[in-house]
Amino acid sequence: MAGAGKRQRLSLRIAAIPMGLLALSCLYPIFFAVNNALKTRHDYLLDRFGLAMQPTFDNFVQAWTRSHLDQYFFNSVITTAGAVILLMVISSLAGFALACLRFPYRRFIFVVILSSLMIPVQVVLVPYMRTMVGLHLIDTRIGLILSYTAFFLPFSVYMMTAFYSGLPRELIEAARIDGAKLLQVWWHVMVPLGMPAMITLGILNTLNCWNDVLIALLTMQKNRTLMVGISALKGQYSDQIPLFTAGIVIAAAPIVILYIIFQRRIVSGIAVGAVKG
Amino acid sequence: MEQIGERLGAPCFSKLSDLPMARSSLTETAVASRTRKRSHRSRRAEAIVAVLFLVPALLLVLMFRIIPLFWGFGISLTSATATDPGEFIGAANYLRALDDPNFRSSMVNAGAILLAVPFFVTIPMILAILIDQGVPGRGFFRSVYFFPAVLSSVIIGSIFSIVLGFNGSLNGALKMLGIPGVDWLGRSSTALPVTLIIQSWSTFGMGVLIFLAGLSTVPREMVEAARLEGAKMWQIWWHIIIPELRPIIEFSTVITTIGLLTSMFGLIYVLTGGGPGTSTTVPEYLIWTAQGRLNQPAYAAALSMILFAVTGILAWLQIRMLSRNANL
Repeated sequence: MAGAGKRQRLSLRIAAIPMGLLALSCLYPIFFAVNNALKTRHDYLLDRFGLAMQPTFDNFVQAWTRSHLDQYFFNSVITTAGAVILLMVISSLAGFALACLRFPYRRFIFVVILSSLMIPVQVVLVPYMRTMVGLHLIDTRIGLILSYTAFFLPFSVYMMTAFYSGLPRELIEAARIDGAKLLQVWWHVMVPLGMPAMITLGILNTLNCWNDVLIALLTMQKNRTLMVGISALKGQYSDQIPLFTAGIVIAAAPIVILYIIFQRRIVSGIAVGAVKG
Repeated sequence: MEQIGERLGAPCFSKLSDLPMARSSLTETAVASRTRKRSHRSRRAEAIVAVLFLVPALLLVLMFRIIPLFWGFGISLTSATATDPGEFIGAANYLRALDDPNFRSSMVNAGAILLAVPFFVTIPMILAILIDQGVPGRGFFRSVYFFPAVLSSVIIGSIFSIVLGFNGSLNGALKMLGIPGVDWLGRSSTALPVTLIIQSWSTFGMGVLIFLAGLSTVPREMVEAARLEGAKMWQIWWHIIIPELRPIIEFSTVITTIGLLTSMFGLIYVLTGGGPGTSTTVPEYLIWTAQGRLNQPAYAAALSMILFAVTGILAWLQIRMLSRNANL
């Protein structure tokens, strides 16, 4: 028995070697981008693999000012923040209604909202574009914010409904018997209580919105977001890799920072979704 | 790794039979007496407020997803262009798809991609079991493996296009070893496999997380007991852990498949643009090309419906599978 345990420990140690290499490969691309972004074009051509010996921030400055990344960044921040806040408010309101209030067709409405998970943007691409054109929402930030909200909403509503229906009912009943209006109950009781779920949703939706390229590509042709801008730069800067990698680093930085700060929350948020599914 | 929630969320709703609604209906009886005492008027007020609270969510979902689904089906039966509503032409767009070599090769590519699903499922499973069994460095692996999954496919595609380009770093390194370079993304024989490898590399962390969550439900005592009776490691894996993970394996298979069919756009757009030729064109990419570049919205709508038919069947499978698991 001890032998088997020993043998198992040995095989685990052997397995750790390829697993470690895989882990390094997960970090390498970002290292690659940062390292090359710090080189001059000349240094890069001379030595692609070496460390940037005389790091320069010139590429970042250039990418930020000359390639309009400042505008793109601003667009991404506004649309992501707008959609994330809207998603939090709308899904919390809907979750409260679905989990705590009684009204006809409650289950049916829940099913309608959730069944739209089966309809990704590719499936409704043409009518979606017509809707956007018809409402004059093309190339507007508000149009992109509404689109993100619509496409990331069902999962958020599901999470908030599940979270609120797990709360003790007495809390809500007590607030209502005190004579509070339902909107006040939502604001003073449900929003503070729902904060943990709302923050997790906020982070996951930030990743979704910031990283999106398809929806932004469809609706923001002139008024680009970062991801659309970066994919356009790719063709333009094929011979200026350090400048291009600086753009990549700028576009990825907010997500990397978010991941470092909220890693536990992101991981547990996704695990919760998975186990519940 | 677009749309984290979306992909995970899809299966969630299929278990709605036992999740939020069911739980609240249990408590319903407990509060029923109190509710009955409340006047008819206040109950109507409650219904009105509830509907008001749901209006924003319903409006957005109806406007951007549900109504467009039916509208799109309507468009797919016409000869519409961007400016002209066109006329009813029945199933002509669908018949055209059958004859379209681009569509055929996109389906062949999708089929090839789906053949890779078993790898997309088993590799994360094996990694998760190893982490769960206490491989040295597991804390580090757990936090690092998920990292590529939070990056946008644009970021990942851009970096790999530099690394894998003909004058890129990989070929540079190969040259130093005396191996001639390959135009990884510019050759039709390598472009799709390379794209798939990058996709699997960037999303495997998600699978690892899902399996780790599932492994936490495998009874420890069973594994310990088997070990004490002298079972070998592979026996424990094969006879205890993997059967216990069956629902997670099914879950992972379905969300991986849906993910491969609906979230590779960004990577393909940045990495290969569907080429060379049509060697990395997949249905979702073709829909985008038909709508935008080719200005054939009616045809694009028909392709969308075909994609929906495939993902719809998967979603239905998922619902059946998961509701069965829920009844255990």
